[in-house]
Formats: sequence, C-alpha cells, structure tokens
Amino acid sequence: MNRHLIRPFNWQVLVGLTLAVLLALPALAQDEDGRRRGKRGRRARSQPTTQASQPTTTSTTTSTSTSTSTTSAESEEEERPAYLAVINGRVHTITDGTLIGATILCKDGVIEAIGGGVRVPDEAEVIDAAGFDVYPGLVACGAGGIHGGGDKRDTTNVFGLNMEIALAGGITTTLSGNDAAKLTYGTTDGLLVRKNVFASLRYSANRPLERARLREDLEKVRDYLRAVQRYTLIKERDEDAEEPDKSEIKGKLDEYLKLLKGERVAIASANEVGDIRALVGLAEQFGFELVIRGATEAWSIAEEPGRAKVSAIVTPRNSTSPDERLNRPSGASIENAAILARHGVPVAVLPASTSITLWGLAGRDLLHLNMEAAFAVRGGMRNDEALRTITIDAARIMRIDDRVGSLEVGKDADLVICDGDILSYMTQVHHTIVNGRVAYAKADSSLYRHIRPAGGPIETDFDDQWPRSLEWSAEDLATTDPAARKKAKEAEKKADEGKEAEKEAAAE
Amino acid sequence: MNARNALLGLLLAGLSAAAVADEPAGMAFRVAKVVSMDRSETVHNDAIVLVQGGRITQIGKPGEVTIPEGFTRHEHPEAWLVPGLIDCHNHTAGTLSDLNDMIYQTNPGLNTRAAIEPENDNIKEARTGGVTSVLLIPGSGTNMSGFGTISKTGGKTPDEVIVRSPGSLKIAQSGNPEWYFGGNSRRFMNWNTRQTLLKAKAYHEAWEAFEQGETTVEPAHNPIFEDFRGLFRKEYPASVHTQAYQVLLTTVDMLSLQLGIWTVLDHCTFDAWKVGPIVAASDCWTINGPRQYQFDRTAARMIGNASGWWKNGVRKLGINTDAPVVPQRELSYQATMACWYGWQPYPALKGVTSIPAEALGVYDRVGSIEAGKDADFGIWTGNPLDPRSACLKTIVDGKVVYDAAKSIRRF
Repeated sequence: MNRHLIRPFNWQVLVGLTLAVLLALPALAQDEDGRRRGKRGRRARSQPTTQASQPTTTSTTTSTSTSTSTTSAESEEEERPAYLAVINGRVHTITDGTLIGATILCKDGVIEAIGGGVRVPDEAEVIDAAGFDVYPGLVACGAGGIHGGGDKRDTTNVFGLNMEIALAGGITTTLSGNDAAKLTYGTTDGLLVRKNVFASLRYSANRPLERARLREDLEKVRDYLRAVQRYTLIKERDEDAEEPDKSEIKGKLDEYLKLLKGERVAIASANEVGDIRALVGLAEQFGFELVIRGATEAWSIAEEPGRAKVSAIVTPRNSTSPDERLNRPSGASIENAAILARHGVPVAVLPASTSITLWGLAGRDLLHLNMEAAFAVRGGMRNDEALRTITIDAARIMRIDDRVGSLEVGKDADLVICDGDILSYMTQVHHTIVNGRVAYAKADSSLYRHIRPAGGPIETDFDDQWPRSLEWSAEDLATTDPAARKKAKEAEKKADEGKEAEKEAAAE
Repeated sequence: MNARNALLGLLLAGLSAAAVADEPAGMAFRVAKVVSMDRSETVHNDAIVLVQGGRITQIGKPGEVTIPEGFTRHEHPEAWLVPGLIDCHNHTAGTLSDLNDMIYQTNPGLNTRAAIEPENDNIKEARTGGVTSVLLIPGSGTNMSGFGTISKTGGKTPDEVIVRSPGSLKIAQSGNPEWYFGGNSRRFMNWNTRQTLLKAKAYHEAWEAFEQGETTVEPAHNPIFEDFRGLFRKEYPASVHTQAYQVLLTTVDMLSLQLGIWTVLDHCTFDAWKVGPIVAASDCWTINGPRQYQFDRTAARMIGNASGWWKNGVRKLGINTDAPVVPQRELSYQATMACWYGWQPYPALKGVTSIPAEALGVYDRVGSIEAGKDADFGIWTGNPLDPRSACLKTIVDGKVVYDAAKSIRRF
C-alpha cells in the first residue's frame, strides 16, 4: 500500500522518507509510552496507599524524563519490553483452578508468568488487586455497534462509548461481523484476533429452495473433493489422469470447500427442533464443524447435537413460548445451557441483545453478558461451568482459544479485575486490561465511577443535582394555598431582615 | 322406608366425608430462611411456616412448631421463603388488546375488571418468577384510561383472582397520551385532566353532602363518576404514569397536594429522581421502572433511577416491570438491575414485596409473611435478587400454583 503511494517519487525521496519515518517512530513510541506511564504514576501518587477500596496502581518507572541524548539510547528505550503485573488478587484461571494472591506478569501484551514468587521487574506497571478477583477478559460470540464494518482497524472508533461500556462489563473480545476483534480502547494495535471466523449457512424449513441449493452446492464441492482425492491416488500410475477442474469452485463454493476441508467452522441460526435436527444431520452427512446460534429448543433433543459434536450459542433467558399444538416439548427453557453442556455440547452464552443500549432498559444488552451467564446457573449450571460459557468455551467456539479465554502463560494478557464474583449482580469491574494495557479503569471513567466506589453494598456516590430552579422547601409544599405560601415567604423575609437589623445593632 | 332413609343417610355421610378428604388439611414449609418483610423486618432462620385455609397460620422454629396431622410437608431446608412478589404496573393479567380504549382524552368510568383473564399465558409465566399479585391497569394512550384491578396470579375465575376492584385509577401524564389527536401539549392535557378530576370531586362532594344530611336534594346519579367516590375517600390510589421531572412535579402538585388524592407515581424514569426531595416530602409512593437507569449525556454517566430516588431521600420506593415491556416473571430481575446501578439489596427486595402492597393499600392481606395473611409466597434457592437463584415453588392463596420439579422450567 505504502509502496504504491510512493511509487511516483524517485528513490531518493523514498529513502529519505523511510529514514525520517524510522527516526520518528522511536521518538513517537517513547512519547506515547512515557505519557502512559507518567499518568499511571501520577495517579498512584495521588492515591493514599491506605485506601484499600480500589486496586491501587503503582509504577516503579523513574526514567520518564525526556532525555534525548543519543539515538542509541532512544532505541534501547524503545526495545525495553512493557511489563504489567497484577499482584495479590484471587486469580481465576478458568483452565487451571483459582490461585489466591498470585501474581500475573504480562510482557508486551502476553502473559509471561502466573503464580506465587513471580519476580516483578522494577520497571513494571503494577496493579495491586488485593481483595479483588481477577478473571480472563470475557468473550462474546456476537456483538454489534462496538467495532466498525469492513477492515476493523480502519473503521473502529477506539474511543467509542459502546466500547467503553462493554469494557465496563468485562468484555475484551467479541465476534464483530465475522471477525474476532478485541476492545482495544484508545489504540488499534492488536485489535484483530482472527478474520473470517465462520462460514455462515442458512438452512431453514421456511426456505425449502435455499435448502435444496445448499445441499446441491455442498454435494458439488464434495464431488470435487472426491475427484481430487482420486486424482492424487492415481496420478502416479496413470499419466493420462486429468486434474479435476477447480474453475467452478469459486466464491461461495470456495467457502464451502474450506468448510469441508475443516479449515472453517460453519455457523447457522436455528431455534426450532426441526431446523436444529436438519442442520445437525447436514453437518454429520458432510462432516463439517457446526455452531448453532439461538438453539432455543435444543434442550429437548440435546443428545443429537451432543453426538454430532455441534456447538451452540444460547441465551438462557430466551422467552419463546411453547407451541401448545405440538405433541412434543417446545419453546425455551432456562435449563437449555445446562442440558446441552451435560450432553457434551460446547456452549457459549449471549444476552438477548448483543449491542449496547442506552435508553434505560437494563440487564438485557451486551454490558450484562455476565448476568446472562448467571441465568445459566439458575438453569442448573455450576458457577465454574457458566463462567466457561463466557470465557474459554466461547473462545473455543470461535477457535481463538489459543490466545484468549483463560489465564495461561503465553496467552494474551486480557484480564478483568473486579470487586467480587463476576457472576454476582453486585460486582463491578474496576479494571479491564486488553493486550497488557489498561483499557478501562472504573475510577478514571465517569460512566460507573459513582456506583459503589468503595465496593460492597453501600450507597451510590454522585452529586446531588437537586434543586435546579425550584426553591420550595418541604414546608412550602405542605401549604398548597399560593396565598399562604406567599405569606410564609414574606414572614421568612421579615425574620431575615430582623436578624440583619439585630446584627447591625450588635455591630454598632 | 326406614331402610331407604338409612341408605340416604349413609350416602350423605359418605359424601360429606369425601368432601372433607378433598379439602387439604394444610401445608407445612420447612425452609432455611424466611424474609418476612413484616413491620419489624424479621428474618426467621431455619423456620417452619404453616398454611391452612389459604392463609399463613404460624411461623416458628422446627422445635417450637408442631405440624398438625395430615398437613402436606414441603421440605426445603436450604431454600428461602420470600413473600410473593407484587407488581403495581402490569398490563398482562388480562387481554392486552382490551386495555387501551382511546375514546376521549380522559376516559373516566372504564374499568379493567372485565378484561381480567385468569390463567392466561403471561400469568402462568409470572408464577415461574415468584410473582403472586399484580395490578392490571389500562394503558397510557389517553390521560385517564380507567380503573385498574388488583389480581392474584393463581385462581381459575375472575372472582377467585381479584383482590380488589377498583385497584387504582390510571392517570397518564405526558410521555404517551399527547399522541391522542396527533399531538396535544402538556398545557391542555393538565387542564383537561384537572377538569375531569374536579368534576368527579364535585360529584363526590355532592353525594357526601346528601348522605350526611347536609342537603335533602338527591344529586343525579352518574355511573361514570361512581368509582371516583372511593378515590376521594382514599379507599384506593391513582396510579400515575410519570416520566421526566417536570411531569413528576405537576403530578405531585396537582394530584397529591391540590386534590388530596392517594398517589402512586409509576415509571419515575429519566431524570425524575432529581425531584426526590419534593416527592419525599409528599405522601406519594414511587414505583420505578421499567427503565432502570438514565444515561446522563452531559456528565457521561449512568445513573440508576432507583439509586437516584433513594439518594434523594425517597424511601417509599418500589420497582415495576410494566409487563409486557419487561416480562412479568422478571420482576425480581428489575430489582436486581436497580442494585447493579447502585441501590441496595434489602430495600430492593422490599420494593417488590411489601412496598407495592403498601402503595396499593393491600398490605393487610399480602406483601409479607405473617400469621393471618394470605399464603402467597415463593420458595427460592437463595436471594431472589440474584439471577442465579431459581424459584422452586410459587404458592398463591395456599395452593401450589407453580412447581419447578413438576414442569418444564421456563424460567
């Protein structure tokens, strides 16, 4: 891209530009880095260490001075890795139990070490999470309005309100469109995790023609694959063997080719038993991996997706009514997630609305992803199972579990620090860390800062905006007669005047 | 002849014996915790609750209470027994299509009693969330849409389910009714609503004067205003759809202070919590919902409505769902969300049990676990505000109307 833009210039200009960029880069990086550290450091100083209500952030970095003596010194400064350590917290690793008071050391956005006795480098940014719970960043298998469309690095507003709110819900990775993307607030670095996660299929009884076409296409691709297989077997012996024609396998069919080769996972929406069953059958027949979105009635035939190793993305609080005309169980059940998990179906949980709502109806949007997992517990899951539906299992369904979804050495440093069990309704997220960088800090954001600032069930702390323009006292209001109200005001005024006169007299 | 009489006698005796056997003797619930929500806010730990004839008869420790012979035992030694949840703002206990007769800008004289539909799907769903009483009120398409009905969620006929009719008068201040005639302003609507109420008050006062012998001229009978007599006698409240803070002020001023009406402020959303001190100084009840927070764009912060009211001194504070806006079964979750946004769990639980009962004036029958009150309660696996807790059983009038163990668990 850059080369293309620069092509009209001669090579000297190109070299000059490149040099300039190379020289400018470390300076920019250092500036950004230094500013970040400096801010943290200042905040740490302003916070007394006795205040245990917030996870205190301290930085031992002392070299934030703007020394620009030599180029070599600058490049050394640049190469120094960025360390972040979260210490003293209750660390819920998801895949390897809970560690009390363990240290998580992150280096350049990746978890370097977890455990007791981890040495924290002097220059590390340190978050003291004593009394707090530390979880991996939550993963949502579906989100709208957080990232942009197309290439997310170009289109995402990384200072967007929706992103900040989702981070306040502890979410660090979402399936946005068909890409797994991170909520890298304030930067586009490390935003994309995986492009084109799923191959989307539509296979509903309501659209029989579409069904027939999909089967036809899949058969075509399967025949091609078989021909390729046959060709590879016989080409040694038979010199006349013709290589199968791939010219027709393009576009949608190429996508299906990847699906049948196991390079892609299919995703399809299905809620009724008939549709779920048909999809499971299709996946078994053609041998591809499938994720069913919705899966409202899957609880009533859970052994079928279980047997076919199909995954499901469900909303436990789905309220689809049963169809009384049917001679079988139908409609939604709060036990859906638990029943599916019991039958070996990997389950991810999503709220009914996968975007952020600002108009007042609470507890139904992406911010409350953890509450939806709590509803899975209501339906019979254990706490730890429900936690997996919004962390490692959600990551596995998107095939990004090598990077996110649990706290393990070598995985991305995506962490949530909160003041209690993340499945509890009284818990607030205090820090959300994405790629080893603090993307959300409750105390620094005006959004939820006032809600239980010290943790625990104490009163909200925000400015009282009353009264604005009306200056009635309660006594005034008790008197509904305007004349009486006026009289009372006058009497009050007189009394005030009297007091002032007294004061004046006293002064004299 | 004698033999025939004797046979008849035997037959009758047999019938009466059968009748006695059909009547369940009563029920005994052994639970870990009873959150009674009585006036002294008692919490009984490890308790037995006895139910007989549709009422609660005794609450006590296992050693102190003797379970009478023949009582059905419900053993839930790890569960909570919580008063049945009550919603002051419901549109689903009847047929939704029968609730918004937009005939005039104010429609006094209408009543939802005729729209009550026991055992409808929404009511069955409500039971799965431990909800036992709801106030079915008409919609907010006009400024005055008629009288609501307090109804239980268990019972087969309207007579069985109705707790009180009229339950309350539904008044809607602005925030919907202005669209009647395609756009009225608050100025006209307030004038019009006040005129209707003043006419009703005049009617009530004329009849009072006649009944107390102050005049001998019998006033003309007017069925439209008949139900308003109870309203002005403070036998039942007005449920008022209010939203932004100006509307709250008008409502407190006009209904509560000027006309002396027992006022229940419903919704109370957006920035309405800012008038907390004025509402706290009045006699009004505040029933917040379905919106649970206000996004203050200027200050870029999310203010929980309930926590805003609470912080501004309002203590007569409850929560509603406005079902079907939020499903009726999620009443407890509405209170959960009020807590998420800064309220406190115990007052929030009160806000869906005793507070709505008191706001509607039915606390003598429902809203707490006390001997002599209706046996309306839920058996929960834990704190009802925690979404992880499930409702195991719902009991209405001493009958198990929902049993999670015996049905497909929808919620």
